[in-house]
Formats: sequence, structure tokens, C-alpha cells
Amino acid sequence: MITLRGLEKHYGKTSALSQVDLTIRDGEFLAILGPSGCGKTTLLRLLAGFMKPTAGSIQFGETEVANSKYCSKPENRNIGMVFQSFALWPHMTVEEHIRFSLKNHRFAKKRTAAEQADRVTEVLRLVGMESFRKRYPTALSGGQQQRVALARAIAPEPDILLMDEPLSALDAELRISMRKEIKQIHKKLAATIIYVTHDQGEALAMADRVLVMQHGQIEQTAAPEEIYQHPKTPFVATFVGKANLVAGTWEENHFIPAGSHYRWQDNGVSEQLKQQQFYPVRPEEWQLLPPDAEGLKGEVIISQFQGTERHYVIRVDGQEYQASLPISVPAWREGDLLTLQVKGMETAVSREKILFR
Amino acid sequence: MQLTMKSRSLGEGTHTAFRKFPVLIGLLVLIFFFLLPIIRLVSMSFTSAESFSVSAYSEVLQESVTWKTLGNTIYIVAGSTVISMILGITMAAIMAYTDVRGKAMMQLFIYLPFIIPSYITTLAWVQFFSTSGPLGSLPDWLIPNLYSSGGIIFVLGISHYPLVYLMTVQVFRRIHRDAELAAFVSGASRFTCWRKVILPMALPGICSGGLLAFLSNLDNFGVPAILGIPANIRVLSTYIYEQVIGYGPSAFSRAAVLSVLLGIVAIAATLIQVWFLRRSKVTETTVPDHEPRIQLQPIRRKLLQTLLWVFLLGTSLVPFLAMATVSLIQAYGVDLTWENISLENYRYILFEDEKVLRSLSNSMLLGFITAIICLVFGTLFAYYRFHKSGRLPKAMEAIITMPYALPGTVLALCIILMWMQPLPGWYPGVYGTPVILLIAYITRFFVLQFRGSYTAFSQLDVRMEEAARTNGANLFGRWRQIVLPLILPGVLSGALLVFLTSLTELTVSSMLWSSGAETVGVIIFSFEQAGYSTYSTAFSSLVVLTILFGSVAYLFIQRKWKQRGRKV
Repeated sequence: MITLRGLEKHYGKTSALSQVDLTIRDGEFLAILGPSGCGKTTLLRLLAGFMKPTAGSIQFGETEVANSKYCSKPENRNIGMVFQSFALWPHMTVEEHIRFSLKNHRFAKKRTAAEQADRVTEVLRLVGMESFRKRYPTALSGGQQQRVALARAIAPEPDILLMDEPLSALDAELRISMRKEIKQIHKKLAATIIYVTHDQGEALAMADRVLVMQHGQIEQTAAPEEIYQHPKTPFVATFVGKANLVAGTWEENHFIPAGSHYRWQDNGVSEQLKQQQFYPVRPEEWQLLPPDAEGLKGEVIISQFQGTERHYVIRVDGQEYQASLPISVPAWREGDLLTLQVKGMETAVSREKILFR
Repeated sequence: MQLTMKSRSLGEGTHTAFRKFPVLIGLLVLIFFFLLPIIRLVSMSFTSAESFSVSAYSEVLQESVTWKTLGNTIYIVAGSTVISMILGITMAAIMAYTDVRGKAMMQLFIYLPFIIPSYITTLAWVQFFSTSGPLGSLPDWLIPNLYSSGGIIFVLGISHYPLVYLMTVQVFRRIHRDAELAAFVSGASRFTCWRKVILPMALPGICSGGLLAFLSNLDNFGVPAILGIPANIRVLSTYIYEQVIGYGPSAFSRAAVLSVLLGIVAIAATLIQVWFLRRSKVTETTVPDHEPRIQLQPIRRKLLQTLLWVFLLGTSLVPFLAMATVSLIQAYGVDLTWENISLENYRYILFEDEKVLRSLSNSMLLGFITAIICLVFGTLFAYYRFHKSGRLPKAMEAIITMPYALPGTVLALCIILMWMQPLPGWYPGVYGTPVILLIAYITRFFVLQFRGSYTAFSQLDVRMEEAARTNGANLFGRWRQIVLPLILPGVLSGALLVFLTSLTELTVSSMLWSSGAETVGVIIFSFEQAGYSTYSTAFSSLVVLTILFGSVAYLFIQRKWKQRGRKV
């Protein structure tokens, strides 16, 4: 178990991380999600031991590894790390990389030379790089380098695996397939994985729990579905769910959008959003109805075909809302006038009218 | 799963004041070796009869010879800088943009005047234009007299244009091709495109190269000493030398005044150069583009190639051949015929005059020790500087740069003044021994190693070391297995530069040498001053051959090394 208590990191007067309290269970896959500069990399580097916290403490199990006075070195922590730039050593072959970590890692099992060779083969087989063992990094593709970096980190079987945007240097297709592989490796290893990323898709797809950060503070920590469906703060709603924040007023269990008299039911909107008088609507939650229907009146500004769905930008009262609808629904053209309504809310328009307008 | 932690991992944190201790010691050492000599010089210039006075300044500034020397210096430095810039920029533009063939070979010839010390280049040019040289059959009025301001300007300009070339060719290559194409699309002619787009973008690089050439011309001692002293043309560097060697009653404080004047100009120029270099860093992120942008018609291209080769061979090969020829004749002035060719001069310098071999072993040993000391401490300092930013490390870097930015004659005087009595009451007695040469070389060339090592570190991704840490490697293990193998090529090329520069150093040596502690440069210079041109050319030819051999060997090893990491 990893316990962070009141963790802070300041660079001079600017604070990169403030008041972080967190417990990470053994074997958990935790994704730290946030835009660049939100403090997620700082948090990871504190966990690795590359820097000392300004205040607060970090505990691995029962042992305190860092506080504002002491900080154990990275080489004395039972961790493995995968870097964004891979950080492979150009003068070593693939198998030399693995052997390096087996020889040097302080928590690796003591192995004889033969056992070491077996472990190298085993790890390379796990990441599918066995046939490249004699190659130097310059002779490998980006995806292959990524696998070597991963193999190097997991070979000594560390308790904690830290990953710093490990997929961001790869192209889109490779990223998707590597997601699955990392997830499978996590199942096999049972190690705690702390995975830093700015890609919400990655975080939602892989993690057991997602931690969203902004301005050095934790916005919300919850399971992926929870984060997506019930964002706690406006930032989480917009960053993770790409939600539109409709302004209006909350009255008990009903929301009245500004400039109208409709009532939207509460479907689990968080206290903080209610206090700020927002109703979050994700793009796929909109219903687009003919202009005479009940709802928010708007005009289509942009209509874009995206393959599986169609994206709209709709202007309502000077506000622009994003909507995305499956292509099975008839398309709206730019300049069309329409009515916006949230799915599942009471409407006076019949279903036929939506489909055959 | 049990999370384990070594118990000794905590409690290793040390108190900050204690951590700063080594840095403070380092700072004191740096100040002592690199800054104190300069402070000594400045204070000497304000000292007369053991007390503060500006009398030395008023005395020196009232003499007409000072102003004449200053005038000569400005004229010669400005003239040679203009030549260096014209040659350097033209060469850079041709090499960066046109499709002439054989660029790699041309590049080697461009660098040749750069790695051969300028006093040897001067000897070569003297022999090239002498009556017994290849142009000897031409009428006298057609052969230029090198022993003149014009001659000094010419040789300096030729020797230092590679500096301008080096700085500008990089910038030219990094200007994005699209910037040029955008200008053409907007209707610019090639001329307008150069005037409005390429030159303005390359300006920081060009200015930086120009200032570097300016500094080298200002600093140079060998060329004005060999060509100027016989013709009674003084520049500041040779004038300071004459003052110190002359040992007048107030020689040191007079020389100190002149040195402060020269030093101020040099430091100011260095600061401006660094400033320009920072500005040109904007383009550093872009990758250099080595593809030619101007496709010449075959006829024109061949014409240009011929022209380039005539220039390159004419400036880098022919003079040295002329020099080698002189070294092979029996007596100076004798015609070059088969009967007159002999190795007599080589036999003499190698087997009869013990000074020659002694100087060679002195220079080798001095260069070797300098290179080793700089290698170790320069690399350590580079590592520290690379990992720490802030005012203190920056100030430390500035301190070690100063002795190199100062002209050699000025530094030599600083070293003399400092090491006669480094601290009140301490007379180490190094003045007049080889040790003072060693101290001077280390002080002067330390920054070369620092730069080489620093570049090597900056090309090393910090994450590589961090990756080793997360795999449990300690400081020693990281250095041995990761850092050293990766920085070694860069660090060693820095050490080679220090070694070669020390080996052929003349400026500082000429003021600090003593009997028994002669160096290569000093012996060649004294042969030439005494009129033994056959010996000076023979020795120079040997030195040039050694340098060429060393450089080729180095290039070969470097290529092998680079291949190592690439093989599949």
C-alpha cells in the first residue's frame, strides 16, 4: 500500500503540487490524468524519488520513504519505471538492458547466471521481443523500443511500476494495441501500476481507478465509469467527459436552464456543480429535435461527419454546445434551426417526429 | 504482497550546509586559479612603488608609441576580420546551398588552416612568397611583401576564416528550406530573398562567427611576431611581449596597463559574442538540412568546383609544400635541384640540436598532463554545471571562461604576476620552471575541456541515468555502465583538442619559458628569429605531419566508435 499524506512540492514560489492525500492499494492500476503542467509528472517523480517533497510524506507499506527532511534514493526503492522517451541506452543491446536491471536492481531475486539468462528470455517473450535480443536500440522501431523499456522495468519484478506517459511517443494505432498489452502484463504481474497520462481515453480504458489533477491538486479520484458519468467538478466534467456546462439555476431536484422555463431532472449531478449552478451534458447525451419542439432553441454552426458519428456545434443564446449523434439519426445541415433536449428528459414530441421530420 | 524497504535508505539525507561544502571549496579553488591572476594584473596596473596610483596609465597613455600601436592593432584586426568574414560567409553559403561535388573533402581542407598553428602557417606563407619559392621567377614587384601590415592582415584573415565558416554554415543549414521557398512564392528574386530572408535569419550566427574571428585576430601573437617585429610594426599583443621580455624598471606595470586595455576589449567582444550566440539558439531546435538547394548548370558547377579547389589547395596545401621544400634544401637561398635536396636539416634538428627533441618531449609531456588534469576536473565541473542551474554555477562558468577569452599575452602576464607570490609570504618558486607553463596551460585550456564534456552531457538524455537509478544502480555503477560509455567520445575529443592546442602553443609559452623548459612553439619561433629558416621549416614540417597523422587517426577511431552502437 502506498500512502501519501499532505504531499506538497514547491519550486521557489510556484507550487507544483499542493495537499495531496492518497492511498493506493497493492496491485491497483491507478491512472493519473491531467493536462500538461497539472503536477502529474511531479507526483510521479516524487514517488520515484527523483526529488524531495516540500512538505508531507510518502509511505511504501509501513516504511516512510520521503518527507520534507529525508528522501530515500530511487535506487533504494522497490520500483520500476517506464519513461516517455523510453530512455534506452544506445550502447547496449536489448538483452543487455534486461540483464542490467536484473543485476543492479536491489530487490530482484538473487539469480545465478543461468537463471538470469532464463529470466531474460522469459521477459523478452512476455513482451514479444525475443527475436530482437541482440539488437541495439537504434535498430528498433518506436513500438519495439517501448517494449524493451517495459521489459527492462518489469524484469526485476518490482512492487511498484511507474509509467510516465509511456505511449505518447507512439502513433495512434500502436497506442491502442499497446493499451491491451500493458493491461495484460498488469494482470500477470500483480504489481501496483501508477500510470501518468494526458489522454483520457487511455486512463479510462486501462485503469482500475482514475485520479484527475489540475493546478497541482486532486480534482477527483474514482473508478473510470464513475469519473465519466458522475464528475465531481466542472473541470473533470469538461476534461474527461468533454461535457457542455449548461448554465442555469438549481431548485431542489430540478435544473432550469438559463433563459427558459423547462425543468431537467437531477440524474446524479455533484454538489459542487450544483453550487456553481451548472448542469453537465456530454455531447452524446443531447437529443436534436425540430425547432418547434420543447427545449433550448439553437442553430447548427458546424456539422462534421466523423465515421461512426456526426459532430455538431450548436449555438444557443450566444453559447456554443458540442453534440455528437450516431449516423443512424438523420443529419442536420449547417444553418438549420433546431431544439436541444437532454436524452431521457420528458418531451412533448413523439418519437416519429424525431425520425421523420 | 509485502512492500519492502531497506532500513538504511532513510537517514541518508545530509544537512544542506554540509552539502554545499564541496561546492564552496570548488568555488575557492576556481577563484584562486582562474580569477585571482586577473585581479592581480588589474591591481598591478594601478600600482606604482607599492601604492595605489594611476601614474602607469598616464605614462603609457601619453606616449605616442602606445597610440601608434593601438592604431596598428585596430587596422590589422579590422582588416583581417573583414577578410575572414568574406571568405567564411562565401564558403559557408556555397557549401550549405549549392550542389558542388566533393564537399566532404573540401570541408577537410577548410579546417586545415584551423588545426595547424598560425605561426607555422605564417612560415609556410613566407616561404611561398620568398624569392626561392614557387613564385620566385616572377618579377619582384609582383611578389607581395608579407613583412607589412597588409601581409599580417592577409595571413590572419586566411588563418581565421574557418571560424566564421564553422559558425555560419551551421546556421545556413538550419534555416528552413520553406522560409526560402515562401519568399520565392511571394515574388522575391534570389537576391531579394538573400537580402530580406536568409541573411537576417543567419545574422546572429554570422555576427557570432565574425566576433570569434575578431577575438582570434586580436589574441594572435605568432603572426604579428614573425611578420611584424622585423618590419617594426607593433600590435598590442607583441608590444606587451616586448615590454615583459625587455625587463625595464617599470616593465611589468606598463605591460599590465596595456594588458588591461587589451583585456577590456577582448572581454567586451566575448560578451557580445555570447549574446549573439544565445540569440541564434532559436534556430537550434531545427534539424540541419544537408540537401543542396541551388542546382547549378553543369558547366557553372564545374567552374565553381575548380575555383574552390584552386583556392583551397592554394591556401592550405601549396604553402606547406613550399615550406617542406625549403626544409629539404641544404642552405637557405640555394636553388631547388636534385643535387641540393637532402635530409641534412632534419638530421641536424633531430640528432644534433638537443633543444629540439627536448622541446618536443617537454611539449608532449606538458600537453599530456594538461589534457589529463583538464579531462578529470573539466568533466567533473561540466557534470556539476549540467545538473545545477542558478547564479553560482553560471558565475563559476564565467570565471573559467575568462582566461581563455583574454589574449594569450595578457594571460601570460597574469600568470607571472600571480605565481611569483600567489599569497602574501608564499613563494612557490615556480616562475622559471616548467611548472608555470603547466599552470598556464591548465588555466587557459580548462574551458575547452569543459565545453567538450558539457556538450557530451547535454547530448545525454537525463532519463538514461534515471532509468539506471530506478534499476538500482548507484552513482558509481551509473557512471561506469551508462554515463561514461556514452560521453566518452565527446570527452575524449575535448581532451584531444586540449592536447593539440597545448602541444603547439606559442603565445603563453613565449613569455613563460625558461632554459631547459623550451616548447615546440618557442624553438620554431627562435629558429625563425635567428634566421635559421631551414631548421624552422624542417621542425614545422615535422609538427604538421604529426598533427595530420594524429587527426586522421582520431577521425578513424571516431568512425569506428560510432559504428559500434549501430550494428544490427
